[in-house]
Amino acid sequence: MLSRIADSMFWIARYMERAEETARILDVNYHMFLDQSPQSYRLRWEPLVAIAGEQDRFSGAYAEANAQTVFEFLALREDNPNSITRCLERARENARTIRERISREMWEDINGLYHQVRSFGADEEVHRFCNIVKFGSHRFRGVTDATLTHDESWQFLRTGWALERAEMTARIVDVQYHRLVDRPDVDTDDHHQWMAVLKSVGAFEAYCRLHRSRIEPQAVAELLILHPDHPRSIRFNMTELQGGLRAISGTGVGAYANEAERLTGKLLESLRYGRMSDVFGLGLHEYLTDLQKTCCEIGEQIGRTYFHYGVAG
Amino acid sequence: MTPKPESELPALFSGYDTGGFYDEMFESPGVPRPHYQRLYRQLSYMGPAEFQERREVADLSFLVQGITFTVYSDGRGTERLFPFDLLPRILPRAEWDQIEKGLSQRVIALNLFLQDVYGSQQILKDRKVPRSLVFSCRHFRREMMGLEVPGSIHTHISGIDLVRDSRTGEFMVLEDNVRTPSGVSYVLENRLVTIRALPQAFQQYAVLPVDDYPSHLGRILRSLSPRGGDAVVVLLTPGIYNSAYFEHSFLAQQMGIELVEGRDLVTDAGIVFMKTIHGLKRVDVIYRRVDDDFLDPLAFRPDSELGVPGLMTAFRLGQVAIANAVGNGVADDKAVYAFVPEFIRYYLGQDPILKNVETYVCDRPADCRYVLEHLQEMVVKPVGESGGYGMVIGPSADRATIESLRQRLKSDPRNWIAQPVVALSRVPAFDSATGRFAGRHVDLRPYCLFDGHKVTVAPGGLTRVALQAGSLVVNSSQGGGSKDTWVLRGES
Repeated sequence: MLSRIADSMFWIARYMERAEETARILDVNYHMFLDQSPQSYRLRWEPLVAIAGEQDRFSGAYAEANAQTVFEFLALREDNPNSITRCLERARENARTIRERISREMWEDINGLYHQVRSFGADEEVHRFCNIVKFGSHRFRGVTDATLTHDESWQFLRTGWALERAEMTARIVDVQYHRLVDRPDVDTDDHHQWMAVLKSVGAFEAYCRLHRSRIEPQAVAELLILHPDHPRSIRFNMTELQGGLRAISGTGVGAYANEAERLTGKLLESLRYGRMSDVFGLGLHEYLTDLQKTCCEIGEQIGRTYFHYGVAG
Repeated sequence: MTPKPESELPALFSGYDTGGFYDEMFESPGVPRPHYQRLYRQLSYMGPAEFQERREVADLSFLVQGITFTVYSDGRGTERLFPFDLLPRILPRAEWDQIEKGLSQRVIALNLFLQDVYGSQQILKDRKVPRSLVFSCRHFRREMMGLEVPGSIHTHISGIDLVRDSRTGEFMVLEDNVRTPSGVSYVLENRLVTIRALPQAFQQYAVLPVDDYPSHLGRILRSLSPRGGDAVVVLLTPGIYNSAYFEHSFLAQQMGIELVEGRDLVTDAGIVFMKTIHGLKRVDVIYRRVDDDFLDPLAFRPDSELGVPGLMTAFRLGQVAIANAVGNGVADDKAVYAFVPEFIRYYLGQDPILKNVETYVCDRPADCRYVLEHLQEMVVKPVGESGGYGMVIGPSADRATIESLRQRLKSDPRNWIAQPVVALSRVPAFDSATGRFAGRHVDLRPYCLFDGHKVTVAPGGLTRVALQAGSLVVNSSQGGGSKDTWVLRGES
């Protein structure tokens, strides 16, 4: 398989996942915030921009973070490379360069979603917009699983999805936890806020089944970081990532073929055998910052191993 | 079918006027030709609203599939739908058989010319074509001299543009394209979309299929492999911003071969490799859709980032096959075109089955004088371009354009040819402004594959249509559209 194609597969998955996660965050928070006092606006909206990692660009473009500006920035803005529209555009652009390698259904699906989202303006109803993106992303994964041969190219999509989702979950937990727990000016017992975190990653029902009781920040963090089977947890996604990387290199259990696999394995061990007390002992923010750095490094190593290796002569 | 009075014409055809041109559908107003009668009857049941609806279904299907081409007017490159007209162009079998024979003859002669001109140059020694004309051609490649290409095939894929002259009703060759002709993907996609949008009409006919083109091309490409056996074949594209990118990816997918860009390939010791996730893998055959100029920065344009350094060396060493061969532009130069009937007589000892359009080669002083005196009446074309770029249609050009053309022609006559304006035949095309059909000029580009022994022509080809009323320009880059082309198994 061509390196360039593997590269595109990996990034199609990452951009699709990034669009979906951004839509989820927008959707849940948007509706929860609307019925709250305007005084707390800034505190509530700014973290959403922080999750996207785009504070500087945002403050360069807008005077204030509010429902309108944050939606426009995260959903539609052309000059925000991580806006939903731009993510979908880049996913589609990657798909277009390798359309002969993906199934016709995958191409038509991603192309249709792109054209649909492109036709939306700033006056779009937020929930409808986010739902189209969310379900568009789910549908694309379903179409992919059902129509693409599960060979190496599929494994690169799988690794892209897993890595992006792990990283996004880490960011969501980090930013929200920081906002809700470490800030004395926000009501730390805010049940609704934690519900929103769970809902934004689609893990609310799973949490209720697990704990039944009220929503505890620590239990939420545990579910999203350490749970072995929930598809949004970091551990689950690192397991997926390891599975994908091993399928590509043909490495067996207990070994690693490249730096990306070594880092993934090392992180996964700590997630498998670690406890929440270890995480809080180190400090959640520090822990998640380290974890995001590792994810970043893994992405770079995948690129160095498979996409951009040097050719002598 | 008896002629109907005008008032009884079905709504879609009311007021239809053949305008004194050869109409592919109607032999006289209101009287369809025998092979169009079934379609005409089908359409009679259909109102403009229903036809419009089917058209929209077709357009949407092109958009969703991303069957677009890229235009560069805004500097960024935007994707446009290639306009499609739903009413097919139909050719009866006997007429097609004649066309096919003519194309086959022409492609073989063009291939022999290329073999000769890069070999012993017998035709130049016999003075059948002026030496100066060949050597002054911008697309003549000295690098090809004395090179034995695999299977002696230069023109693996040719797109020969035909037009039907309204005065005689005969098909003629307008130009040859033997470098990297494009458009065949539209032939295949137009067929799929037409069947979906007009299923009942299609069922009324027995139409020759076109969908085996990619597998046929794939077979020819694999046969070129210098290593034989399990050949690694790739399609080399300039990339996503090329106007024909859709086609490149479509053909690669249909043939099950890798679509590569220049940056995916490297050469080492005269061997071409592609960069895969598991290291370098040897490439045997390259179906290139990159022009000669950009193919190898070490051999041709040094600023090319689309090509592969060292590719020409690998080709010369016979370590990799390239289709179409390098240097074919000398055969489809529009001034050399005038000599193709002579090639057919010289190499094959036959009379050309398909005629050329009368052509004035401005390199010949007498021709040049005549052209300068009749600029206003002729179509004048630069010899080395394709896609309709640089063409001037005298009767519709303004004074300034004619004068500027005159200056350019005088300063470089070798670069120009001129032809009388051909009254192209017309086919009805749907005009959404009026909700009716109106006659529009068409040409026909069939696609010919040559395996070294036999020429196979995909039945029909791409009918390109000038969708502007009165326009004679069918090129997609100039606002033309296309139609599905049906070759019938029988006569109607």
